[in-house]
Amino acid sequence: MTTGTLTRQPSVQPAIPGVVTLVLRYIGLMVVDAFALWLIFSLINDGIWELAVAIGLITLFVNIINLRPELKPLRWMSPAFALLALGVIYPIVYTVYVAFTNYGDGHLLTKTQVVRLLESRTFVPETGVRYRWEAFINEAGEYALWLTAPDGSAFFVVGQGELQPVSGDIPETFQGFRRATRAERTRLLTAAATQQFGPEDNRLSVTRDFVAVLEQRFSYDRATDSITDRQTGAVFTADDEIGFFVDRAAFEAARAQNPEARASDFVMKIEGFPAGVGYRTVIGFTNFDRFFNSPALRGPLLSIFTWTVVFAFSSVASTFALGLLVALLMQGKFFGRRFFRTMLIVPYAIPALISVVTWRGMFQPQFGVFSQIIPGLPNVFADGTLTRIAILIVNLWLGYPYFMLVCSGALAAIPADLYEAAQVDGANRFQAFRFITLPLLLVSIGPLLISSFTFNFNNYTLIAAFNDGNPVIADSPIPAGQTDILISYTYRIAFSGQGGADFGFASAISIIIFIIVGTVTIMQMGLTRRWEEVSRNV
Amino acid sequence: MSSISQPIGQVSRVQQGGLTFKQRRQLQNAVRYVILTILIIFAIFPVLWIVSASLNPLQSMASQRLIPNVSDPALLLKNYTDLLGNPDRYPFFRWLLNSTLVASVTAIGIVSITAPAAYAFSRFNFKGRRNLLLFMLLVQVFPNLLAMVSIFLMLQQLGVYLPFIGFNTPGGLILVYIGGAMGTNIWLMKGFFDAIPRELDEAALVDGATIVQTYIRIILPAARPILIVIGVLSFVGIFNEFVLARVLLRDKETWTLMVGLYVNFVSSNFANQWGLFAAGAVIGMLPTLIVYLVLQDQIASGTTAGAVKG
Amino acid sequence: MRNKLVAFLLIAAVVFGALGTLNVRAQDATLLIWADDTRAPILEALGAKFKEEFGVNVKVQQLGFGDIRSQVKTASPAGEGPDIFVGAHDWIGELSKDGLLEPLDLGDLAEKFTQASLDGFTYEGVLYGMPYAVENVAFVYNPEIVTEVPKDFDEVRKLSEELIKAGTVKYGFVRQSGDPYHFFPIQTAFGGYVFGFEEGVGYNAQDLGIDSEGSIAALKWFEGMVKDGLQPAGVDYDVMHTLFTNKEAAMIITGPWALGDRLRPSGVPYKIAPIPGGGRPFLGVQGFMINAFSKNKELAKTFLFDFIAAEDIEVTATGKDGVERTGIPMVLFGFDRPSAFLPALEKLEDPDLIAFGEAGVNGLAMPAIPEMASVWQAWGNAVEAVANQQVSAEEAFKTAAEQIRNLLK
Repeated sequence: MTTGTLTRQPSVQPAIPGVVTLVLRYIGLMVVDAFALWLIFSLINDGIWELAVAIGLITLFVNIINLRPELKPLRWMSPAFALLALGVIYPIVYTVYVAFTNYGDGHLLTKTQVVRLLESRTFVPETGVRYRWEAFINEAGEYALWLTAPDGSAFFVVGQGELQPVSGDIPETFQGFRRATRAERTRLLTAAATQQFGPEDNRLSVTRDFVAVLEQRFSYDRATDSITDRQTGAVFTADDEIGFFVDRAAFEAARAQNPEARASDFVMKIEGFPAGVGYRTVIGFTNFDRFFNSPALRGPLLSIFTWTVVFAFSSVASTFALGLLVALLMQGKFFGRRFFRTMLIVPYAIPALISVVTWRGMFQPQFGVFSQIIPGLPNVFADGTLTRIAILIVNLWLGYPYFMLVCSGALAAIPADLYEAAQVDGANRFQAFRFITLPLLLVSIGPLLISSFTFNFNNYTLIAAFNDGNPVIADSPIPAGQTDILISYTYRIAFSGQGGADFGFASAISIIIFIIVGTVTIMQMGLTRRWEEVSRNV
Repeated sequence: MSSISQPIGQVSRVQQGGLTFKQRRQLQNAVRYVILTILIIFAIFPVLWIVSASLNPLQSMASQRLIPNVSDPALLLKNYTDLLGNPDRYPFFRWLLNSTLVASVTAIGIVSITAPAAYAFSRFNFKGRRNLLLFMLLVQVFPNLLAMVSIFLMLQQLGVYLPFIGFNTPGGLILVYIGGAMGTNIWLMKGFFDAIPRELDEAALVDGATIVQTYIRIILPAARPILIVIGVLSFVGIFNEFVLARVLLRDKETWTLMVGLYVNFVSSNFANQWGLFAAGAVIGMLPTLIVYLVLQDQIASGTTAGAVKG
Repeated sequence: MRNKLVAFLLIAAVVFGALGTLNVRAQDATLLIWADDTRAPILEALGAKFKEEFGVNVKVQQLGFGDIRSQVKTASPAGEGPDIFVGAHDWIGELSKDGLLEPLDLGDLAEKFTQASLDGFTYEGVLYGMPYAVENVAFVYNPEIVTEVPKDFDEVRKLSEELIKAGTVKYGFVRQSGDPYHFFPIQTAFGGYVFGFEEGVGYNAQDLGIDSEGSIAALKWFEGMVKDGLQPAGVDYDVMHTLFTNKEAAMIITGPWALGDRLRPSGVPYKIAPIPGGGRPFLGVQGFMINAFSKNKELAKTFLFDFIAAEDIEVTATGKDGVERTGIPMVLFGFDRPSAFLPALEKLEDPDLIAFGEAGVNGLAMPAIPEMASVWQAWGNAVEAVANQQVSAEEAFKTAAEQIRNLLK
């Protein structure tokens, strides 16, 4: 095999596209654009800016690469990039944004959502009357109400007409209306939001329990960014630093007395928001600060990080080695090849969740099959080292079929001529493997080893399902386990910290982990580049 | 040249170590069978355990033995009959069909969208190529905890206007699946394309073929094992995926098999029904194995050599 | 080049105009309910009845029990949430903090519910759910082996030793590991607690009792059991019940969920008694909550108050267990747990459920305060560390208390 021609990549061919192809491409692009524009405008109409912008950027990108000749190679990737952008990049951007917010329990809703929720609340003013009600209906399907006030007076009201005073027991029929059935009565509640009774100055709303003139309880003033409780008259102003509506007057009065007073002690608390009316807000680097400045959090970090790296590295090495071994063994023709190959892929066909739990059961100290086979086997789950070994075995079982498949494909793609040439040159099989198979394999598989490493680095499911990170690190200042990996440890804190889940904190941790893994990836990329160079010279 | 010669299975023409050709071959095969048998035990033992769990009517993993100790043999199939004989509760075949459809469409989508992109990465030299590749690998390693939340919101918002890819539709799920692993798949395929000698396409180009023609007539056939590997990997991965699917599919009729099994038998408060789950998983394993059985010869036999010799 | 792009966008805009007339939004007037695998089939049957009687469609979507809690957080603000969902009372601290729960007023109907169940769903004085069932663990033993119920946990230990010595069983009493929920009754039997509790006020998050004297005494008792080989390691729900079924263990602590799942199908004789030594189990209350973002709140209230809590409507439904039952809706919901609805509780005939109910009389509602999330992990870890003989009991609970204080900081 000679070198030379292979090192030169063919440049982009200035091929002259036929007019038909050109027209087709433009029409295709136009349809895509029309569609995207319609979508973007509709989304903007709904106030969903982030998605509109994302789709706009993707469309713009697709247009540019399809219209600029020098970007021709990228045309091959238009659909791939569009989907990558939607399925991967968009969620990442979202996570990065969330990392700088206080999104989490207590601050789950956006300010708009909170305001909308509060503005839908109503109350019956002190002067208002709560009527008990009975529904009537006529043949045209119009509704009327028989209302009874607490003082015993009664009224009949048809649609949005005046309240007519009536008396006596509620009749079965009245003024061409009959008593509504339970189903008809219930239907009135379905439409209650839109169907109101009585004249304009006395508009009555129907609820399950009563009919009354309802007033909007909370009103939001955009100019002062504050909410007024119209029932009590209290005013609460949005404090974007802490993401709460705060009784500013009370807070400032308190601060005049005591400069230490905190706004968070004066948050607006109402029914349905017992911990204060909180909303999502941008809080800068607070989440990152919390991670780096908590000594308790850092306590077990070093040992967890070490195990994470060991776990990820050993998992990749073992699954790749076994996968490659199987792929090599499967080469050539021999009796039962098909059978062996199918059997060996079976672990991959089983959902990981059930596999991990099964393995867990097999290691179980009372009934587990291993403790039956090996008498005196200590309780694996009580010992950190043993649990770690068990996890690596389970992960080997879970992961080798992937590399077996990938290596089979890669080996098949290595041209046979290379081996023939090597044989002619007098190379033995080991040499052929070492100098031909392995380098070529690493070119095609190298990136997969990296992505397998990062996958395992973040393999939360396995760790959580096998033993939930246990056994515990007994003297840790914060709950942690000896088999916890970085992601399982930190996410647990993010989801069970003070008062529930903290998505903002979890996102910040995601970014920190990403920086670690990303650095490792870039470093490993240097390696692949070398493999690639090696392969060019084969 | 029809079959590709391989380093281990291949018959060496050079005799070594005083062994005759036949002896070497027998020894080689013996070693092969011993190793394979050990591996098979490793691979299959837990699977037998799962099969045994599926035959255990007690729903308990601790109580099961490899050979189920059930007094009444009719009880052995109880999980299977419960699962299959109750289509109102567990529309099992509907779920199986949904899973197969979603996994197949996703696998085909991934292969057909990834291949041209990987081809471009492998064969064209353009500015920023390396950085773009690196970028794709990097976005794939982001430990995206909140992906679920943002994907849910995205599909829900898109679904208002594009109901066929909205939340609670297989379409939306497929879209997310295809996009989700794009980076890794492009990398994987690019790596394989790199291993295909460039002389192949250069020869075709010299013969006057356009790039598109070269791609379709030369590269794709040469890369068939890889395309199939990626297809199979995607199929299996998607078939068994339930973390995303259980958030994005709400109605029983749209569920995939894994969502149906998970929601019914694993997600309860205390009483998980492992037997039923295992029975479902055992049946659910079949499509994957069938796909693999049908395609395995394609994976292991390369065609590059043939193309070279023209 | 730029001209081309502009021209392009212009032409595209025209086509867009044509497409723009499409409007795919639809109005949905049905009541959407989220429920787990046990409640969903009942609610489906009830939905059909509701449609018949009240003329409104009900749609039931089935989710995993825990998934309901996490998914309302994303779905509700986006407008995809349910109108009503099934859940446990200890979610309300967290969900109400998020503003996701509609405050409820049962009015006169409140008298028909057990006080404990209403207390469970009340958070800072406001009711956030309509309960349907109550659950708690009890002391379950094999009457063929254990003839007299031990009075306290020291007797449990003594009895275990005797039984093991006599070769009757492999273990006497076994405790389910994995969560401190099953340790709590033992802890309270020794006078320990988690958070200080004051009748009528609720839990005090400032008063942490993990490292209190009683708690440590309970863990020391357990440590003794482990050290003396009376307590196997790594016993999860599955293993514990298998030991009990195989008559390898004679006493366990478990809840009503085990009845249909393990105790009854196994055929092993069992009896249910209150926790020895006056131990107080956690009470868990299950109920219906209304989504604050629901557009059909009045309808949802009608469904719950006038239909689910009705005493004059009979419905037939096939449960998850395949058994067909007929009764008022609340009876159907209380088939596997003691009902929270007095008229249904009075109709309760199942002696096992009655026994579980009696064992829960002195129960303490599981704290619903959001701080519990930090507590479960540290507390559970401490018990596991002792079970694995990693640390001493005292040290374990002292560390756990410190961890919790670190997390709550």
